[in-house]
Amino acid sequence: MLFNSFEFFFFLSIIFVAYWFIAHERIKLQNILLLIASYVFYGWWDWRFLSLIALSTITDFIVGHKIYNSDQKQVRKKWLWVSIFFNLGLLGFFKYYNFFIESWIDIFTSIGYELKSTWTLQVILPVGISFYTFQTLSYSIDIYRNKLKPTADFVAFAAFVSFFPQLVAGPIERATNLVPQFLKERKFTYQAFSYGIKLMIWGFFLKLVVADRAAIYVDAVYGNIENHDGLSFIAATVLFAFQIYGDFAGYSLIAIGTSKLFGFDLMTNFRRPYFAASVSEFWTRWHISLSTWFRDYLYIPLGGNRAKKPRWLFNLFITFLISGLWHGANWTFVVWGALNGAYLILEVLIFKKNRKGVLNVLLTFVLINFSWVFFRANSVSDAFYMIKKIVTVPGRLYIGSGDDIAASIYATLAIAILLMVEFKKEYFDNVFSISKHKFEWVRLMGYAVLVYMILYFGVFDKSQFIYFQF
Amino acid sequence: MIKREFKLSLVKIGKFIVVFLIADFLLGTMSKQLFFNQETGKYARSTHAIKKSEDNVLIFGSSHAHRHYVPEVFEKELNKTCYNVGAEGQQLLYHLALQQMIFKRIKPKLIILNIDEGFLYSSKEAYDRLGDLHPYYEEYKDELRPILGLQSKLIDFKLFFKSYQTNSTIVHALRYHLSPQIDYKGYRPLFGKVALTNKSKMLKVNRREIDSNFVTALERFIDSAKKNDVDLVFVTSPKFDPIDNSENESFKKIMNIAVNENVTVMDFFNSKQFLNQNDLFHDPSHLNDDGAKLFSKAVANKIRNLK
Repeated sequence: MLFNSFEFFFFLSIIFVAYWFIAHERIKLQNILLLIASYVFYGWWDWRFLSLIALSTITDFIVGHKIYNSDQKQVRKKWLWVSIFFNLGLLGFFKYYNFFIESWIDIFTSIGYELKSTWTLQVILPVGISFYTFQTLSYSIDIYRNKLKPTADFVAFAAFVSFFPQLVAGPIERATNLVPQFLKERKFTYQAFSYGIKLMIWGFFLKLVVADRAAIYVDAVYGNIENHDGLSFIAATVLFAFQIYGDFAGYSLIAIGTSKLFGFDLMTNFRRPYFAASVSEFWTRWHISLSTWFRDYLYIPLGGNRAKKPRWLFNLFITFLISGLWHGANWTFVVWGALNGAYLILEVLIFKKNRKGVLNVLLTFVLINFSWVFFRANSVSDAFYMIKKIVTVPGRLYIGSGDDIAASIYATLAIAILLMVEFKKEYFDNVFSISKHKFEWVRLMGYAVLVYMILYFGVFDKSQFIYFQF
Repeated sequence: MIKREFKLSLVKIGKFIVVFLIADFLLGTMSKQLFFNQETGKYARSTHAIKKSEDNVLIFGSSHAHRHYVPEVFEKELNKTCYNVGAEGQQLLYHLALQQMIFKRIKPKLIILNIDEGFLYSSKEAYDRLGDLHPYYEEYKDELRPILGLQSKLIDFKLFFKSYQTNSTIVHALRYHLSPQIDYKGYRPLFGKVALTNKSKMLKVNRREIDSNFVTALERFIDSAKKNDVDLVFVTSPKFDPIDNSENESFKKIMNIAVNENVTVMDFFNSKQFLNQNDLFHDPSHLNDDGAKLFSKAVANKIRNLK
């Protein structure tokens, strides 16, 4: 089920009423309701893959207890490896199996040996597998590190793994933050309810107006690169920067807002990333739940920045390389990750102190956009073709044909609104705010107009969220 | 305490809904006014056909209809008034919807449906582009519900909001208000010639799945014409390159339906009069103005000879 569908609107209304009016003040019943709702939400897409979530849940529930109940380091470690192998095994098979087989065949082909591709399988990538496997892994690892006690409440744990607002595209919650929330009573407050709705409205604006409008131009250019030149590639890449931001930050806000309706607090996932003055700062603002996951469970265990400089730089690079691969089984994502790793290494080597100022913000935006070319291109060779054309053949700027022209105009207007809102939030947070205005009618009108804009300018029934494929 | 919070939330939500509905009504009414006051552009042409046209001959179809049929030629040759309601990028579901809305007001004497060979093949765009019908829903619910219902089961709920009815039409309306798009009774000519290549290639349509909704739409289109006593002719437009439809399931099915329903078909695919005549084509798939006039005359002559 998609957030941007009317089915979700009805689903959410039913669950909300049942949760607060039927299961009210009965934590166990509320958790059962959330668990069923989450499985229905996921099963709406493909019920067969519910078994994977169930398996992952059972495995980590058992592993958590086994780790916690043992005093022997070797035994604890053994059980931790069970969780790691199981979760990464699922991910590896469903997401990377064909990619590695095909890459292996390509390597042999490039050195003159023709291998027949009989090993590749028709594997469907289960939606959200990258997210929930990382979330359950964090549970086992945190118990291993004595940061968390395993819960004895299986239903609460299962609801944590499959919690529908963030099941398929994050934020990737830490067990230390989310599991305890399933074990305590949730209180309904007007403040949380209102804030949740506001976050959802803004999330829908980002998704339906910013991202989906930009996508029309981006797809027209990236899907047909032979017929476009450098200027169009630049325009499409800048629009893609906002498309992916609107898409993913929009999803995160809807997820966080939805969770608030049920009394849960999820972590912030995006903090105005395009106002970052360096690439390292960008990564403290972009997909924060994943960046911090990799920081805590990969980068720091590798030695982080406490090792000698060459090792530190290696740690940085390898973390981003793997982060790139996490995003998709394609060399474009690997190059994208490597490029971001290289940016960070260069920043460590060249700049001694934190950078600030408009020029640095612009430079960072350009660097990030350069990396987006690889992220969005259909292949690495397509990305190089586009970069070559950007440098050598600026050509004519494609402005779209037919309805595409209108889509580009709507996207540009929506991005302008987004930038104004974020600029104000970044630099003048206390100056003026519609959402905090003293007059209620101003607040109501502000949000009514925003909802009107979503319905009037939004793209409906046409698109999934980009991050579903990861 | 909790009850108070619920009550407060309900009151606030209630206030918000009222404010939103007022905003939706006021702004939505303005955008609908803007929409229906368009004088040129694709929406203006559809609106004209639905609400104003009194013409005897109506031409339906996609860009091939829109760019290939010159009403002036038909009027001269058939001595009947004619309007071209071809809509670029649209397919059978849209044409059926348009036909149903037009039939609510008038019954033309003749309808020409320009057939694209892949009309019955599944197409996501065919559903996505039904959004162009949303502004008409309030007035033509009975005609449009079965068609828009294929796109979404919640169509009545969605189109309750005026904002959604005119979703993303403002730029189109303003654009053609500032810079009118000239048409000649719905026909817009293309100019220029297609580049000549050394070798003519045989076109083949890739096999795709047949969409049963499109088959039903075509059958309903024929059935409605019959019930309203409107003559119906299927025409295929010429292409620059030869086309092989022997394995084209969509085209074969359309032809079967036409034979079973006794609908006259005028097949101009591979017509020697047009094949590889670069003077007559704007691009390999579309005739230029000269080609369109010649083609219109050929179709009109055939229709006249039917009598």
